[in-house]
Amino acid sequence: MEKGIMALAAALCVCGGCVTGIFEGKVAIQAVESIGKNPDAADKIQSMAIIGAAISETCAIYCLLVAFLIIFILGA
Amino acid sequence: MEIQTAVYSIIIITVFIALLLFYINRKLREYDPLSEPKGIVLLVMMAAQTFDKMVSDKTDKKVAKYLTPYIMTVALYIFLSNIAGLFALETPTSNYSVTLTLAALTCILIEVFSFSERGVKGYIKSWFEPLAPFVVMNIMSKLSTLLSLSLRLFGNILSGGILMSVIYQMLAVISHKIPFIGDFNIVGVIVAPALHFYFDLFSGVMQAFIFITLTVAFIGKELPNK
Repeated sequence: MEKGIMALAAALCVCGGCVTGIFEGKVAIQAVESIGKNPDAADKIQSMAIIGAAISETCAIYCLLVAFLIIFILGA
Repeated sequence: MEIQTAVYSIIIITVFIALLLFYINRKLREYDPLSEPKGIVLLVMMAAQTFDKMVSDKTDKKVAKYLTPYIMTVALYIFLSNIAGLFALETPTSNYSVTLTLAALTCILIEVFSFSERGVKGYIKSWFEPLAPFVVMNIMSKLSTLLSLSLRLFGNILSGGILMSVIYQMLAVISHKIPFIGDFNIVGVIVAPALHFYFDLFSGVMQAFIFITLTVAFIGKELPNK
């Protein structure tokens, strides 16, 4: 019983990654669009897009880490 | 005291990097500047040029002279650590101590550059900007840099490793259903290499790149007129 609830909790934690996935895709879309409009600035836009995506990805990784903590430390 | 197994792979990777750099150093010494570079010399030159351009774009030429060697070493170390799983070693970056050390080095570097740019008075003042009560916020933002840098690398690599082991277990169950060759994980042999390519090579390169890009960007933020 307890283990099942822990599994559910871990699964719910990882759901936080969905939103990150959608909006990280949005970062990529915007980067591609602006490179299409202004190909000269491709280098700058690329590095900015990667930094933005990496920073917003942190949220999803925190969700994942909490899920790991639930599975491997509470559930062990 | 019990020794973590990651220590052995850290030692192996460190020795490998030392030997590699020693070999490259010897090759570069033997290289005649008038002749055409080829092989490893050409590769090293291209890498140095790329990194130098990347660092001096974000910071300035003077800082890039000191920062580029550090950035290249860290990039090599993180890249080799991330792909260590391919060579049957335990991945050092899936150990939180390693990534925390790397992120702490970045944070110390940020503070050092901030100090050298602003001087003693300006550095102390920068902690209390824009108003004195904001010191709490400033400390929190410095701590969050440390946490997010270390946890990003750690989480990405650890999740890749755990997913791979889960996938191997699943593939073993599937190939157990096949008659005659059930004990041999035949489905794993077919499916796993593509996943290894994504989880180890691609995300390893990406994470090393993101780590150094963020390090350079954070340091560049501390310098004036950038």
